[in-house]
Amino acid sequence: MHVCTVTPISMTVGANRIVPAIAIPHPLGNPALDKDEEKKLRRDIVEKALEALATEVDGQTIFD
Amino acid sequence: MKLEMGHIYIKDIQFAAESKIEDGILYVSEEAVKAVVLEDEKIKSVSFDIAKPGESVRITPVKDVIEPRVKVEGRGGIFPGVIAKVDTVGEGKTYALKGMAVVTAGKIVGFQEGIIDMTGPGADYTPFSKTLNLVMVCEPVDGIKQHDYEKAVRFAGFRVAVYLGELARELTPDETKVYETCTIKEGMEKYPNLPRVAYVQMLQSQGLLHDTYVYGVDAKKIVPTIMSPTEIMDGAIVSGNCVSACDKNPTYVHLNNPVVHDMFEQHGKTFNFVCHIITNENVYLADKQRSSDWTAKICKMLDLDGVIVSQEGFGNPDTDLIMNCKKIEAEGVKTVIITDEYAGRDGKSQSLADSDPAADAVVTGGNANQVIILPKLDKVIGTLDYVTKIAGASEETLREDGSLEVELQVLTGATNETGFNKLSAR
Repeated sequence: MHVCTVTPISMTVGANRIVPAIAIPHPLGNPALDKDEEKKLRRDIVEKALEALATEVDGQTIFD
Repeated sequence: MKLEMGHIYIKDIQFAAESKIEDGILYVSEEAVKAVVLEDEKIKSVSFDIAKPGESVRITPVKDVIEPRVKVEGRGGIFPGVIAKVDTVGEGKTYALKGMAVVTAGKIVGFQEGIIDMTGPGADYTPFSKTLNLVMVCEPVDGIKQHDYEKAVRFAGFRVAVYLGELARELTPDETKVYETCTIKEGMEKYPNLPRVAYVQMLQSQGLLHDTYVYGVDAKKIVPTIMSPTEIMDGAIVSGNCVSACDKNPTYVHLNNPVVHDMFEQHGKTFNFVCHIITNENVYLADKQRSSDWTAKICKMLDLDGVIVSQEGFGNPDTDLIMNCKKIEAEGVKTVIITDEYAGRDGKSQSLADSDPAADAVVTGGNANQVIILPKLDKVIGTLDYVTKIAGASEETLREDGSLEVELQVLTGATNETGFNKLSAR
């Protein structure tokens, strides 16, 4: 599975499970947020990725 | 909108006591241009040098290349929103000093800046080996941040170019070309049987010193919009980026964008050149989606039959390119895309990071990973201190005999994605 900012490329290369990330220079964080908000954001993405891994998929799926 | 472009051919550049242009020779007062640069207190010192085609000279690390111009009639001035006050440009009369360029050099980020060789195999690949180059190497004050240094050098280059352009204000051009486009309604009435074609230009806007400015606005903060194709000729778009040297658009390329100029050649003959659409290449997916949605929407609203799309840079902008292509084609508008390739040193890898069957008409600027040996040259303007660090080089770049083993990536303009390069195929 991919955690990836540019989900169209993940689609092109054939990833099964795709979790959208924030931005190319900082996929798993956002320096514009304060520390607590960013921590929550990071945790949410990782939890979503773990959930995606545990989900059966039928073809390429983006977990928005 | 109608713009008369007067070309003043510069045959030589010489340092002299007084700046002037006489009989095609540009005389530059070093003292005067230094004063223009040092107006900015962020620049500690600057040195000027002249590099001529055929000389054994290597210029590096190259930041920007700029063509001096002056607005002699009509609204606004050169580089609106940057040097001149904000005003819509692209009509009236403008003079350009042809055959020469201002080149800004010096260490800024230490990577992703370019090389211009004035002779040898490298000179065959960079278009700026053919121009007489007035090179300015800027040193910043101590403790300055990289982005402040970048901005100071960028602005200093524009100021010098405008200063030199002003020397031509009272001259008579050697040649004049007229560029004129119609309003939407006029175009439909005048050319009812010609296909309606526009140019979609993707501007580098990845941030972190990969930026472009439109009338002074950071292009990552724009939504796609339309321009008259003559606006760029007055410097409406300027470079502020340190993307790999081979496929970034220096300001010189924006001023002389060959897609725009070639489309004007066909305007009213094989098609109606409707307008210039600009969009960006941001690093957030939502921005990529919004911008490509908008370019497609604008193409549809303008009832276009076809567009030429040019990319700038490579990597994730490949996605913007493909998204633009796919969405514009989906509106029933035919596309041709211009890109370049990172196909590996052997040319066997996938050329772009993204692809789609809609991209069935592609023009390439060449493979940026192709390896080239640049022989040692007699003189370096700037410094070789970063030559193993720039994109396309490696720790093995500097060889025992002083030659450089590098990828085409290092050469300014080598695989330019507007066609402003020397590579071609038979």
